[in-house]
Amino acid sequence: MALLALLLTATTSGCAGALDTPRSRGNVLTYGIDQQPDCLDPQVSPLDVTALVDRNLFDSLVEMAPDGHFRPWLAERWSVSADGRTYTFRVRDGVTFHDGTPFTAHAVKATLDHAVDPRTKSQYAASLISSYRSSRVVDASTVVVRLSRPDSAFLQALSTAYLGIQSPTSLRENTGNLCTEPVGSGPFRLTGWARNRSLEMERNPDYRWAPPGARHSGPAHLDGLVVQFITEGTARFGALATGQVDAIGNVPPAKIGALKASGQLRHLRAESPGVPNTVFLNTRSGPLADERVRKALLRSVDLDQLVDTLYFGRYSRAWGALTPTTPYYSASVEGRAPYDPDEAARLLDAAGWTGRDSRGIRVKDGRPLALRWPYIQEVHGKMSALAQGMQAQAKQVGIDLRWTSVDAGAFIQKTDSGRGLEMFSASFVRAEPDILRYWFGSRMTIANGGGNVFHLDDPVLDRALADGAAASDPQARAAAYARAQQRLVDRALALPTYVPVSLVGTSDRVHGLRFEPNAYPLFYDVRLGDPR
Amino acid sequence: MTTASPVRWLARRLLLAVLVVFGSATAAFLAMELTPGDPVRTLLGTTPQTAEATERIRHDLGFDRPLLVRYGLFLGRLVTGDLGTSYQLQEPVRSLVTGQLWSTVTLALAAFTLALAGALVLAVLTAGGRRLPRRIAGFFDLLTISAPAFWIGVLLLTVFSFRLRLFPAAGGTGLSGLVLPAVTLALSMVGTLSQVLREAMERSLEEPFALSAKARGTGLLGLRLRHALRHGLIPLVTLSGWTLGALLSGAVVIETVFSRPGLGRVLATAITSRDLPVVTGVVVVSAAAFALITVAVDALYRIIDPRLREVGT
Repeated sequence: MALLALLLTATTSGCAGALDTPRSRGNVLTYGIDQQPDCLDPQVSPLDVTALVDRNLFDSLVEMAPDGHFRPWLAERWSVSADGRTYTFRVRDGVTFHDGTPFTAHAVKATLDHAVDPRTKSQYAASLISSYRSSRVVDASTVVVRLSRPDSAFLQALSTAYLGIQSPTSLRENTGNLCTEPVGSGPFRLTGWARNRSLEMERNPDYRWAPPGARHSGPAHLDGLVVQFITEGTARFGALATGQVDAIGNVPPAKIGALKASGQLRHLRAESPGVPNTVFLNTRSGPLADERVRKALLRSVDLDQLVDTLYFGRYSRAWGALTPTTPYYSASVEGRAPYDPDEAARLLDAAGWTGRDSRGIRVKDGRPLALRWPYIQEVHGKMSALAQGMQAQAKQVGIDLRWTSVDAGAFIQKTDSGRGLEMFSASFVRAEPDILRYWFGSRMTIANGGGNVFHLDDPVLDRALADGAAASDPQARAAAYARAQQRLVDRALALPTYVPVSLVGTSDRVHGLRFEPNAYPLFYDVRLGDPR
Repeated sequence: MTTASPVRWLARRLLLAVLVVFGSATAAFLAMELTPGDPVRTLLGTTPQTAEATERIRHDLGFDRPLLVRYGLFLGRLVTGDLGTSYQLQEPVRSLVTGQLWSTVTLALAAFTLALAGALVLAVLTAGGRRLPRRIAGFFDLLTISAPAFWIGVLLLTVFSFRLRLFPAAGGTGLSGLVLPAVTLALSMVGTLSQVLREAMERSLEEPFALSAKARGTGLLGLRLRHALRHGLIPLVTLSGWTLGALLSGAVVIETVFSRPGLGRVLATAITSRDLPVVTGVVVVSAAAFALITVAVDALYRIIDPRLREVGT
């Protein structure tokens, strides 16, 4: 093997000089990432990487500030009616889309209508604005948006890249190619997309409408931006270490040490807002319908130890159903259900799971305490080590966690019906506590486009979530969402595991990289320069 | 029929090839149909949709029609050469496949050539020879067959890219980006090819004609090259046809480790997301490649072994 490889090296070492060096790429930043977008129409794709790419191509009506309030962007100002159901936006003048179309109120209506049009087959954006009813263009710079209910999460939805405003000309005339030829007004425009290889963008020289949170105004500093798809963590880190790329996303936690040791590389870290990596529990049927069993499960796993060991101290464990960087996170849930195998055993005894089978699994009425936990390798594979650690610990108290790989079709069949499983894992990035309603609201079942797989119907929780969504006063919202988060822990309705982290590694030539509120990196302010 | 006309032979084989392509497309269609779970829901991903939206999409994609009608429409499109549009990527399958094809073909040919050359060298140098070189070669065969391509790939990357910086760590266009993936892929095949060739050569070296050649004073290397190799080529060509055909349908592990475009990853993603047009599109292309290679292999048999020409298959 080594012989063959050496032979080949000898014959082709002449090409080594042809390798890309940071210098030869000029003022273009290359970013290596593990995922690639399926479709760049922001209103279609639900993927994180789509938001990351589309943030450069599209602008939004409003910008979310780090403290959670909203600032004007393409909308100069707005007003909300007393009943919270009508938003009137006054839009900015002088903005042009990449295809030359001027931005007006019509573009806002066209984009929102496009998002909810069933023909768009939106996988995410439509659910973000589920309260949307219609838009009316009053004049070129005024649009009135009607909602079906008061929705305090509406502005946050508008601030995401998923509701980036598209050129109405492109929406009208380019149907069918919106995935591959997106037209927005952002600081970069798409120049090429070689599937499975890379995606290329060049600076929009006319850009003069950066949001207030940006560090500069006018066109981006970079001449261009290349997003290169490098699935393997080792190869991605290697590409950064050898200077083939300038920055990478999703640095493998195991490589952070090497990255710090190199001296020429840096890493940036931001905890994702939204729902942490969470195990959702079947509260409707099976053993977990008993609150005592759920509480025992939560106490049977030592997440402090597992998360710290498996992710090399780079991730923190989650205590509640929201991550600490989510607006209205309540720290009151921290430390509420700590690792306590003795208490877990006591709870299981009390719940009648007193027998033991030959493997040490608890038995009640002749049935073992088995919890089916199906997963999709492509989606959940990265947490396999964690799941197996939890499996081993749960077994100590006599719970059999059946972490089983199934294909996507079978998984969706189970989660759609809520049958044939007791647990499933998911996390969800969103800088808005209303995301809890999507997972736990009694009306947000799968058939209604929500994520409440097990038809959880808890009136106390529903009340708190409805109060939070309807209130516009920050204090009232904080109180409502604190109640909701406490209720989830009190009744052990979910098992939060760890807080997802956006780990970005860069070379020392990259300056000014920041994260937006959803923990995606922003490239508009980035400058390539000499190491400092 | 004593001697078959080469033209009629070729026409018959090509007709069979067309049948193979349609058969594979049908098999792929049925396999996707039999996979558990609702294809429309799977297609839409794990983010839930409202029931109305799901039904609407089901109708748009024609999934609300009976199986036979859908199969008929599918075959009808296939006859006209229309591979359809990807559900997931909303891009014509034809452009999707052609966009990845070049990368797959270059990798397949480069890896195959390397593996074949390596196997020829190894087998010719060691067949019927002394024990020690044979043992070493046999160990090498076993090692390359058993080592996972994923591991070899990461190993080569670590040494030649991360340390020595001779080749790009990811992607890379042109020759420099092709070397490591081609070597990795070749290493996974060279052992099997050389084993098959060596065994066939050793069998023929035991035959009387080899002994008489030896008696005439032909050296061992000359014996292997002039007499045994030709006999050994038949099983090698059979295996090569199969290998090359498999390579042309993509090499998903290699593509992933080396961040290369290619049909393997397209197919793997399409299968998990139940993207029927892409799956059948890739299957049709690989089946066509397979069928054509098989025809070429059969033609090669007739060249290598003149006796086969008389049989008129």
